[in-house]
Amino acid sequence: MPTAETELRRRELNRRLLTVGLITPAILLVILFLYYPLVFIFRMSFTDTDSFLSPGGPVFTWANYLAMVGRYWPNVLITFQLAALAMIADLVFGFPFAYILVRKVRYRDLVRGFMVFPMFGALYIAFGMRFIILPGGLATPLFQALHLENAQVLYSLPSVVFAMSIFTFPFMVMNIGTALSNVDPTLEEAAACLGARPPQTFTRILLPLTRSGIVAGSLMVFGWNIGAFAEPLLLGSINEQRSLAWTLYQRGVVQTDYGLSTTMGVVLLILAFTVTYFSLRYSRGALVE
Amino acid sequence: MSSRRLTDLLSHAYLWFCLILFILPFLALLGYSVTGPGGAYAIENFKYVLGSFGSNLGWSFRISGLTLLLNAIFSLPCAYALVRFNFPGKRFLFSGLTLPLYVPGAVMGLSLVLTYNFTYRLTNSIWGLVFAMTVGTFPLMLTPLVVALKDLPPVYEEAAQCLGATKWQTYWRVVFPLIGPGLSAGLLLSFIIVFNEYLVTLFVHPTGVTTAPLRVFNLVRTAGLQPTTAALAVTMQLISFVAVLAFFRLFGTRYLKGTYLI
Repeated sequence: MPTAETELRRRELNRRLLTVGLITPAILLVILFLYYPLVFIFRMSFTDTDSFLSPGGPVFTWANYLAMVGRYWPNVLITFQLAALAMIADLVFGFPFAYILVRKVRYRDLVRGFMVFPMFGALYIAFGMRFIILPGGLATPLFQALHLENAQVLYSLPSVVFAMSIFTFPFMVMNIGTALSNVDPTLEEAAACLGARPPQTFTRILLPLTRSGIVAGSLMVFGWNIGAFAEPLLLGSINEQRSLAWTLYQRGVVQTDYGLSTTMGVVLLILAFTVTYFSLRYSRGALVE
Repeated sequence: MSSRRLTDLLSHAYLWFCLILFILPFLALLGYSVTGPGGAYAIENFKYVLGSFGSNLGWSFRISGLTLLLNAIFSLPCAYALVRFNFPGKRFLFSGLTLPLYVPGAVMGLSLVLTYNFTYRLTNSIWGLVFAMTVGTFPLMLTPLVVALKDLPPVYEEAAQCLGATKWQTYWRVVFPLIGPGLSAGLLLSFIIVFNEYLVTLFVHPTGVTTAPLRVFNLVRTAGLQPTTAALAVTMQLISFVAVLAFFRLFGTRYLKGTYLI
């Protein structure tokens, strides 16, 4: 005879089964197509070039990782450099933008409409910029005024950093903007009343209060830009084209040096994860508790 | 002019300067795409887009559609379980499911192409590409759904069940319509990303399947700058922009919170 107790237990079991059933497909998807492949390349990074395929089986070696701090160290460095410079550019130009957007502007939706354009893809940004900077292109009068050669600017670090910072600018603005909108405007007014000049208000009031947004945004921008692929390729000289994402493609797909390319992948991954982890810790709001 | 008005003016000017910079690449390509040989205006480039690049656009739409479908299928139940049920490790699960967003594209592409080649044997199927896209944009579909479900008070479901509805009926007739905006946000975001995706596609696409952005990428690297390539790039961006506009018009910006498009 079904008692209340067994009925409750049955319901509880059904609920548990349902929960498992609902979340399993997603878990499977992510394990099969993300986590297992990542583990796979992690293992492969310890093998020698394409020995994974060889009849004798994979050859275990540390050489790939040694190469990363040896021969390929410039690649790691340039990747870092590009991402760091883009992050700084985004900070310097993004903070005022966020401030103006949050404090002074009524037509925010219009601005948001414009801001989606960079997100469509770094490829279009790089492509468009290449067109603009090309000799005979739109920017020629500007360059002539500054006594610069078009070709000099085209395949150079600044143009790559410029394109990268455009792409991630919206992320920075959003992070800082959220932090800024949580700062009470009356605080700034009070500071002004008490005699603070704008630079003082900025350094003593705004910066400390928006620190978490700044850090979150910077780290997110940095993490995103580490994997930059199209900008260094289309806008950079040989030096910028050494960035890890493109080198990874070259070595991995074109030259089938699986050991080395997966090592680069692992390095990129660890960098991106570390940066993003800290970024998320600084930004507000866990969606699921 | 008072200094306050001057700063205001400068502020707005700065804002607009930055905004123009954002769309400058697009505008430049737009201008370029309507030039023909000899510098004359030519709309033929766009006809070329529909003709020769039509198959690429077709692939892009097809892949996007399949990805959106899969994303919805996987994330609707998952979001519901995450919000409505209690179980240990929820935060961990959510982080684990959101992680794909933070994996650099090249790394994802490489890991998938190698795994497809050596373990799954999935290289010559379109599904390899579709699943790659699905896993990459899964968080973008999950997050708006979670937000939407959190905003929905459980009382509606409880009321429906009190009135005699089964769980299925409750879900389809009460919950699903009410999270419509959240679902649309997820669809929009996934569409934008997948439609314009070229990096993972570069690694994983089966031979013979070239999506439009990948075609742009290949053409820029091989044929340099051509008006037709620019026309294709412009078309892609226009389609994406129209999709975003339509979404903003219909649903506002609430459901994009937390997904960094807003």
